[in-house]
Amino acid sequence: MLALESLFPNDNFGLLGLIIALPLLGAIVNGIWGRRLGKQAVTTMALTVMGLAFATALVTVLHLREVAHAAGHGERVRLAWTAWEWFHTTGGRSGANIPVDLRFSVDQLSGIMMLVITGIGFLIHLYSTAYMAEDASYARFFAYLNLFVTAMLVLVLGDNLVVLFIGWEGVGLCSYLLIGFWFGKVENAAAGRKAFIANRIGDFGLIIGMFLIAQYTGALDWDGIARNAQQLLAPSAGARVHLWPVGGGVYQGIWSFLQPVHPLTISGATAVSLALFLGCTGKSAQLPLYVWLPDAMAGPTPVSALIHAATMVTAGVYLICRLNFVFILSPFTMTVIAVVGALTALFAATIALVQNDVKKVLAYSTVSQLGFMFLGVGVGAFAAGFFHVFTHAFFKACLFLGAGSVIHAMHANVHDDVASQDMRNMGGLRKFMPITFATFAVSTLAIIGTPFTSGFFSKDEILFKAFTSHAVHPFKEKFAQRGLGVWQQPTWLGPALYVVGVIAATMTAFYMCRALFLTFFGEFKGWTVGDAPAHASHGHDDAHHDEHAHAGPAPAPRESPWQMTLPLVVLAVGALFGGWLNAAPFHFEPLGEWLEPIFEHSVKAGVEAVGGEEHAHHLMWPLAAGGVAAFAIGSAIAYWMYIAQNGAPAKKLAESNKGLHQLLLDKWRVDEFYNATVIGVTEATAETCAAVDQGIVDGLFAKATSSSVAAAGFVLRALHTGIFHAYGAAMVLGLGGIGWFFIAPHADVSVNEKSGAWTVQAAPGMGYAYRWDADGDGKFDSERFSELRALTVTVEPGKSKQVRLEVKNAFGLTGSTTITVGTEAKKAATVVGLR
Amino acid sequence: MIPVEHYIALSAVLFTIGGIGFLVRRNMILLLVSIEVMLNAVNLALVAFNRARPETHTGQMLSFFLIAAEAAELAIGLAIVLAVYRIKKTVRVDDANLLRH
Repeated sequence: MLALESLFPNDNFGLLGLIIALPLLGAIVNGIWGRRLGKQAVTTMALTVMGLAFATALVTVLHLREVAHAAGHGERVRLAWTAWEWFHTTGGRSGANIPVDLRFSVDQLSGIMMLVITGIGFLIHLYSTAYMAEDASYARFFAYLNLFVTAMLVLVLGDNLVVLFIGWEGVGLCSYLLIGFWFGKVENAAAGRKAFIANRIGDFGLIIGMFLIAQYTGALDWDGIARNAQQLLAPSAGARVHLWPVGGGVYQGIWSFLQPVHPLTISGATAVSLALFLGCTGKSAQLPLYVWLPDAMAGPTPVSALIHAATMVTAGVYLICRLNFVFILSPFTMTVIAVVGALTALFAATIALVQNDVKKVLAYSTVSQLGFMFLGVGVGAFAAGFFHVFTHAFFKACLFLGAGSVIHAMHANVHDDVASQDMRNMGGLRKFMPITFATFAVSTLAIIGTPFTSGFFSKDEILFKAFTSHAVHPFKEKFAQRGLGVWQQPTWLGPALYVVGVIAATMTAFYMCRALFLTFFGEFKGWTVGDAPAHASHGHDDAHHDEHAHAGPAPAPRESPWQMTLPLVVLAVGALFGGWLNAAPFHFEPLGEWLEPIFEHSVKAGVEAVGGEEHAHHLMWPLAAGGVAAFAIGSAIAYWMYIAQNGAPAKKLAESNKGLHQLLLDKWRVDEFYNATVIGVTEATAETCAAVDQGIVDGLFAKATSSSVAAAGFVLRALHTGIFHAYGAAMVLGLGGIGWFFIAPHADVSVNEKSGAWTVQAAPGMGYAYRWDADGDGKFDSERFSELRALTVTVEPGKSKQVRLEVKNAFGLTGSTTITVGTEAKKAATVVGLR
Repeated sequence: MIPVEHYIALSAVLFTIGGIGFLVRRNMILLLVSIEVMLNAVNLALVAFNRARPETHTGQMLSFFLIAAEAAELAIGLAIVLAVYRIKKTVRVDDANLLRH
């Protein structure tokens, strides 16, 4: 450690560059030479870089811990490294110089993220070596996966918003590439596009937020923003964002009815944080932009585990935690975040209740859990929200990998991508895949909040904080003294959020147990896939089934190889015990203390507990009862429905509420709604534009241009005879013409008048000499030629004079002309002649 | 000493012969020969001028330069003739009209 300190001082910590460069190296090598290297080398490369990156990250965080110890309790410490100074921009309200450097830093918050990304990333790489072993594009897959890890590390380690944005876009790109990894199928490519476009909408918000932050705080790096964040709350009218009238203008004339009595303004903090939150809803799949995440399951399952469960989708939560000192300035935005989070948690959970595709259940579960995270950060419990990111990374990655293991095994006798993921075709897999079953079960217990597993601690803390704490305006006393009102969260909202959260948690318990029971308990139904009358695509499967019937009994599902089960076990252990890092009910909170320096200031300034800390503290155990009840009720109903009664109540319920069941199965028809509204309008606009483009731009402008060129070509083509001598003759004639031009003397003459004085000026030429006849007597003034090029004669008004000029060139050839000056029009004459 | 005008006159005559040859012959080899005649007419003029104004050697230098350029031009020209012959089995310029079609 001492060597580390001397090699890498805190403000020039080059190891960060290594952590980012390692996966990048893997991506480059596997991406460019992967196909030629062969699978063995690709595996070695991908695993080595990820393992080394994790080791380096671990060393870095251990070092960070020592630095933090040395700095004293509660100090935010960080190790930073500037790759290079990129550019700087001037601007903002203060006109400050805003440097934008390619700078990375790691502090307590990004340290945890870095460990999760490289650690779980390594496990998922290991898992993929078996899962993707048969895939033709093996090298491409690992190149993308490594590139994703690079981008994700850039995102969390970036020391300013611009670098974060690079990573943000990078992970979006990799997500797109990996969702559409099997781009041969149209749906997969469409899912990739959908993810990309939904994320673009969010990124628009992020960019706007970035601009506004630069405008208000005059900084883009975390420290600078934190230092000047109070600028965002400047109460003067000019410093606020005018929503109506737009931009603070005045509506006049016939538009004056639009002029409101009180202009609608919001503080810079609210504008910035709402814009940033739009970015978060895109990346972290919150209402209303969540629609891409369930479709993203078209990608390979390890991708779903790494990108769409453990890391990338939590980037939004990370951004809010990172910029907590900005978000805390706007209680309104905090409430919006909490409400959106709670609604998303509930909404996605309802859809997950009835889905039959195991990956779809997990996808909606992810959306729902992300909602919990936003609920946590929205009520000011940044540490709790981030803790849920951490535990969720373990159990959801484990669940996805377990589902992947199941699908992998199902493929042995169901050769259809859809049918092999359908839980109705599974069942009884407990006997065939004991390790997968055990880990899946443990992770299910964690996600549904079984007491003392990781999900229990993180989810219960979020629910507890949702009930007891809320964001308040950090300067409300100061504002009140100046007679300025501030927005306040209604008091009923906390309990309401808690109730919504508990309902969502109950649903979570139900659908996760349902997935567990359908997949692993009962009888294996994979033998008879295709005979099931309920199955939609039976024709295709029938054919397969017949083939198997001829070939003898289908092979039984088998446990996956160790490369797949080892990550499952590791993640399951994390899912089981990870919660003890922050066991709030037992007053054992190492993670909370570790993160305290990041959030301490904001929480002190802008988060209040209802009825005071002391009162809230007493509520901790009673409120935990809600979470435990959610777990107990949800899982009990699932047990009763799917184990005790073998699925009969579920069928009956679906029969009796056909409309609602179908609506849930169709995911509330949100996709259809978007298709009819936003996408429909966009497509109509696009079609109009296309018609204009084809009819007017292509049809008129482009055709006119091309036909005029064609007409000119038609004429000029006649000159191209293809007869060699014609070209030769033209060349000789042309040369003769040019020769004549140089041999004959010619000097342009210009005539100017200025108050009766007429100046005749001849152009110069090589070796030219001039002689003049100014008095008009027919004889030249001098027999000798001279260099005199200009002559001025005085002409009385109404009279005119004749001036003669002779030019001689170097060959001794002469030319002459006569110019009339005076009443005649001023004109230029040219001397051309040969004598 | 022969006055410089005589050289120039001879050069002009040679140049005209070359030019007319270039315009009227159909054989590519003879076209190249005509070009050579014209270039040598120019060379002759250059050397004559150099003799008339011997204080600088511009004329001679230019003529040497021209000889080198001539050699390169002739090599390329003959290569083109050979290539055309391989394709068309003829060296008549009128038949080398592929680009027209």
